Amino acid sequence: MSRNAAQWTQKPKLPSTHYVDTRIYTDEQIFREEQEKIFNQCWIIACHESEVPNPYDYRTFNHPGGEPIFIMRGDDMKVRAFYNICPHRGNILLYDPVGNAKRVTCIFHAWSFDCKGSCTDISRGTEGYQNRLSKDDVGLREVRAEIGFGGFVWVNIDDGACTLKEYIGDALGLLEPTMEQPMEVFHYHKAIVNTNYKLWHDTNSEFYHDYMHYFNRITGMMQPGYFDRKYVGYPNGHASVGSMSIKYDAYDGGEQRGLGWPGLAPGGWILVDVFPGMTYNLRTSVMRIDTSIPLGPNKVMIEFRGLGLKSDTPEQRAERIRDHNTIWGPFGRNLHEDLLGVHGQGLAMREMTDSKWVIHGREESSTIHDEIGMRHFYAEWGRRMGRKAYDPMAESRPAAAA
Amino acid sequence: MSTRQSVEELVYRSCMLLDDRNFKGYLELCEPGFRYTISAHSPEIRKDMIWLQHDKKGMETLFTNLPRHNSDHSPITRHATVYSVEMDEANGQAKVVSALQVFKTTLDGGVTELFAVGKLYDTVSLNGGGPKLAERTVKLDTRMLGIGYHVPF
Repeated sequence: MSRNAAQWTQKPKLPSTHYVDTRIYTDEQIFREEQEKIFNQCWIIACHESEVPNPYDYRTFNHPGGEPIFIMRGDDMKVRAFYNICPHRGNILLYDPVGNAKRVTCIFHAWSFDCKGSCTDISRGTEGYQNRLSKDDVGLREVRAEIGFGGFVWVNIDDGACTLKEYIGDALGLLEPTMEQPMEVFHYHKAIVNTNYKLWHDTNSEFYHDYMHYFNRITGMMQPGYFDRKYVGYPNGHASVGSMSIKYDAYDGGEQRGLGWPGLAPGGWILVDVFPGMTYNLRTSVMRIDTSIPLGPNKVMIEFRGLGLKSDTPEQRAERIRDHNTIWGPFGRNLHEDLLGVHGQGLAMREMTDSKWVIHGREESSTIHDEIGMRHFYAEWGRRMGRKAYDPMAESRPAAAA
Repeated sequence: MSTRQSVEELVYRSCMLLDDRNFKGYLELCEPGFRYTISAHSPEIRKDMIWLQHDKKGMETLFTNLPRHNSDHSPITRHATVYSVEMDEANGQAKVVSALQVFKTTLDGGVTELFAVGKLYDTVSLNGGGPKLAERTVKLDTRMLGIGYHVPF
């Protein structure tokens, strides 16, 4: 039976933890608060250490909190992160996404900085500032950076935040045996989609949408073990999904994967969602990492990385690339479908569409079609935001400590 | 028709057939040993990347599987301009470089936007019976393809 306007807006007959108000996906004020209370306080993947292999290599990163950042490996081989903002007149210091610079010199007025963020030269400094301002006063803003969990460079804007290890806890435990060998990025692309970043993370946090993927239905859902895969939630909003044996040759043109990945059972598939918008996705012979960078309430840029092992032979790397491209990448069978799905959500949920609720109500003993992964995320979201996801405009409470 | 003209026509016909989703017709333009690749260079990771690679059988399977998948149904239009044709008569081949622009038109309203630019690097077989595609590499300059696309360029 269809519903009238009043019925459409009635709260779902489910516990309040099992649905959210769609204004959390569209409201500008909530988005700004998320940048401040979530993204600027959580550990975020900026790049992989293999992207800055040599002293003075740098890599720029648009932090989801809004800050332009660059990562630089120092002459002491330590990886540091800084605001990509000149302290003088606010110009971007490094324009190219990657490079190698012994001195970072602003193109505007030639102020220079070293790999540790110290100002090394103010052009005609004494003439202009006499003894009123010195190089010591204008160092770069350093951002906390740690390398970990597969060699990724993580950054945290909050100087008072817990350590990366404390933040992740045991969430990546399932993947630990698979991340013992050094990895290397072989695929990178970005996608900008008019949708909310949480909807992308939701898609990575539920497998009920395998109905959308012909590839996953044939190779996974119709195979033994699929409905036994378990969700496990961890502190700080992270969640993992247990493995099964995917039957890749069930797809026309597919074949059982020979190469695999050290520490991953043949045909295995492990996925870990890291709050607030990162996903480790290991299947076939490839590790895929998604990093969501919200650009507005209804716009997200997603960075996609595909990684193999640094020790790969050319033949092994070619096989990983083939495995990756079958389902992922801009022409992959699954990624396009996932992005099409969240694009559609963005169309339906943008402001003034009278979209009202999104239901996260499936309970199936925490197995693969249970929606506990999303519920776990929104519990953490509510804790950090001081808002209820099901009633976000109610008088907000003070946000919980990070 | 000169050989150069027939080679150019092959490139243009391959675009028209894919635009029309005439996949059978497209594959008829290809040699049995045909190889197709979409590649791009990522300055971010300082690497050349392969985004799609198939032999002729793989392309046929990709086309056959298309209706089983959920896809963006917005049609795309390929605009190619043949820049150079280098004949290698000893090997019965021509190396062809063409500029490529791909436009996407929305189904609802028909708004057209530039989707991708790049170049086609074709190896064309000239061993009798008219020119055939032996190899095609699409090198994309555009790396931001939004939600992506299921049909090769």
